[in-house]
Amino acid sequence: MSKRLVAILVPFGLAILFVRFAQLIPELTTPQFESAKDYIMIRGYAETGAKNLVSAIYLDYRLFDSLFEAGILLITVAGIVFMAKSDEDVI
Amino acid sequence: MKQSILVVTISRIMLPFVFLYGFYIILHGDLSPGGGFQGGAILSTGFLLTYFIDDERRVDLNRLLRREKLFFLAILLTGALSVITRGEPFTNFLSPEFPAETRRIFFLLLNVLISLKVALGLTAIVETFLEEGQG
Repeated sequence: MSKRLVAILVPFGLAILFVRFAQLIPELTTPQFESAKDYIMIRGYAETGAKNLVSAIYLDYRLFDSLFEAGILLITVAGIVFMAKSDEDVI
Repeated sequence: MKQSILVVTISRIMLPFVFLYGFYIILHGDLSPGGGFQGGAILSTGFLLTYFIDDERRVDLNRLLRREKLFFLAILLTGALSVITRGEPFTNFLSPEFPAETRRIFFLLLNVLISLKVALGLTAIVETFLEEGQG
C-alpha cells in the first residue's frame, strides 16, 4: 500500500469516525443522583463489571480520557528522543 | 561504569520478582488497585535492573518506538470497537447482557495493551538517557 493512499484514507476514516461520534452524544437529562460518587457507588459494578471502581472509571466511563493520556505519553517519549538524539540515529 | 558484585547479584535475584509483580498488577487491574499504567512502569523498572546486571546490553530504539506506536493504535481501535458492536463510543464492546466475568475480557485486553505501551515508552526514555550517559 503506497504512502499516498494511506495519507488519503486515514483522514477520511477519522472524519467518518468523528461524525459518527458526534451523532452518538446523548441528550442532557435531569440527574437521578445527588453526586457522581453516588451514581458510581450504586451503579458502577452493574454497568461496567469491574470490581475496582477506579478501573471502571478510567476504562469505561472515561475511556476517552485514558486514550489521550496514552497519547500524551507517546508524544512525551517522542519529544525526549527528539531532543536527545540527532536526526540520523532515529527514524 | 564500575560494576559492583553486590548490585549485580541482588539485581539477578530481584529481576523475576519485579516482572512477576508487574504482571500481577496488570492482570488484577480491574479487581484491585493498580492497572495498565502502573504495571507498565514496574515492567520498565525491570528493564532498568537488566542494565544493572549487564551495562553493555543495548536495545534498538527505533524498534521500541515503532512498537509503541503500533500498541497505541491498537488501544485506539479497542476503544473505538464499541461503536460497531454497541453503538456507543468509547465503552466496553461487550453489551451489559453478558455476565461480569465475560465482560472482564475488555478490561484485561485494554490493561495489557496499555501496560505494554507504557512499558515500551518508559523503556525508550531510560534507554535514551543511558545512551546519552555513555556519550
